Amino acid sequence: MREEIIVSGRNNYLIDPHLHIWHWQIPLYLFLGGLAAGILFFAAFFTLMGKENKYRTAVRIAPHLVPWVLVVGLFALLLDLKHQLYFWRLYTTIRLESPMSWGAWVLMLVTPLSFIWSAIHIKEIFPKWDWKFKILKDLEGFFTSKKTSIAWVMAISSIILGVYTGILFSAFNARPLWNTSILGPLFLASGLSAGAAVIMLLSKKHKERNMFAKIDIGIIVVELFLIIHMFMGFLASTQVQIDAAELFLGGPWTAPFWIFVVILGMIVPIFLEVLELRKFKIPVVIPAGLVLFGSLMLRFIIAYAGQESRWLY
Amino acid sequence: MSESNKPNKKSRYINPYLGGVLLGLVLIAANFVSGRGLGASGAAKSVIVATVNTVTPQHAENAQFYSEYNASHPEGPMKAWLVFQMLGVIVGAFLSGAIFNRLKFKVEHSPKITSRRRIIFAVLGGILFGFGSQLGRGCTSGSALSGMGVLSLGGFISMAFIFGTAFALAWFFRKNWI
Repeated sequence: MREEIIVSGRNNYLIDPHLHIWHWQIPLYLFLGGLAAGILFFAAFFTLMGKENKYRTAVRIAPHLVPWVLVVGLFALLLDLKHQLYFWRLYTTIRLESPMSWGAWVLMLVTPLSFIWSAIHIKEIFPKWDWKFKILKDLEGFFTSKKTSIAWVMAISSIILGVYTGILFSAFNARPLWNTSILGPLFLASGLSAGAAVIMLLSKKHKERNMFAKIDIGIIVVELFLIIHMFMGFLASTQVQIDAAELFLGGPWTAPFWIFVVILGMIVPIFLEVLELRKFKIPVVIPAGLVLFGSLMLRFIIAYAGQESRWLY
Repeated sequence: MSESNKPNKKSRYINPYLGGVLLGLVLIAANFVSGRGLGASGAAKSVIVATVNTVTPQHAENAQFYSEYNASHPEGPMKAWLVFQMLGVIVGAFLSGAIFNRLKFKVEHSPKITSRRRIIFAVLGGILFGFGSQLGRGCTSGSALSGMGVLSLGGFISMAFIFGTAFALAWFFRKNWI
């Protein structure tokens, strides 16, 4: 009998030569998580700046989407799990070195906060809303009085949530494309830009739309900078990382990445937003829709291309 | 998307003769950039083949038209530069419309006919053109213009017959325009 000692997980099913374990659920969840983080961050930020009345959509209208976005995203995440009934075990431990633990706990914080934030602003959407029970009215009053504190917690936790959507990939050191710390800030920036796009879509006030167009332009420029740095970092690194970058620089993911994410999702929206700021008539749904599309494609392409990137053998 | 908020110049369109020369240069440049000429019907064909491949893979295998196309495109029908070219055409046209304040939903037609009639005839013409472009191995841009750009005899013949036939048949449909 010939004995073999297996010292690597590579012999496992669906691991080599390409990883085949993460499908549409994960990139969709990461997109929705980033979007939720973006919207909540702007709501908290403008509350803390005392500009609540000036940027009403950002603070009081757009956050109503967040609970729905998070519920759909978390459901997609649940679908991805192998042992769905054991998801609660994430909450029996705290591991500072594990991004999944960070993500689970920050979602435990952000999700209820997003529901509370929607609840205390629900009269903006349904002016005749009545909580019916006294305890609910008291709770609303309590949370409204603590709004500044909630905004502080929300601002910080939404940034952690946005960064975590990228760190979830970059902590995966077996895939060279993912194993770069730039993914954290890149996904945060992409989520903020998606959040700004949604606020632009919902806002009816010209001034607010222009403000978020400006914010969006700034964030997209940062994103482009991060993407360039990501590739510079890969190309200056080891051969496996160079091979990972080659997937986008002549390899099979070149056209989808540069065309859908960079050109259609970043450069064209910047161009349209600049035109809009210069008083050209641009239907806002086009730049905002393109930003959301580019943000979604970024997650899908990084998720799928990352599973294809690998170590040498 | 109201009227232009800038003083309306006489014409915001490029001079047609200059436009024609520029288009010719684009056609030639496409050969150098992508390795093959550009075309307008190729992207539609890719989309249709991809749809048939997904919806009825059996039919795609049996029908000669689809099986030949799939055999010559092993990486899949959507991985063609013409598909991306078409995206570029849409984006470029939209941007040029945005810059010159022309963004507006409308159907352009002769004042003597209704929008509905215009759309029906456009759809009928489009269907005929779809068949024609497949029988003729390319449409006006892919076969006639790009072909002429590289001095292909087929390109000149296509061009002569596309415009010749149009000229001959225009008399029957002139009421739609004049």
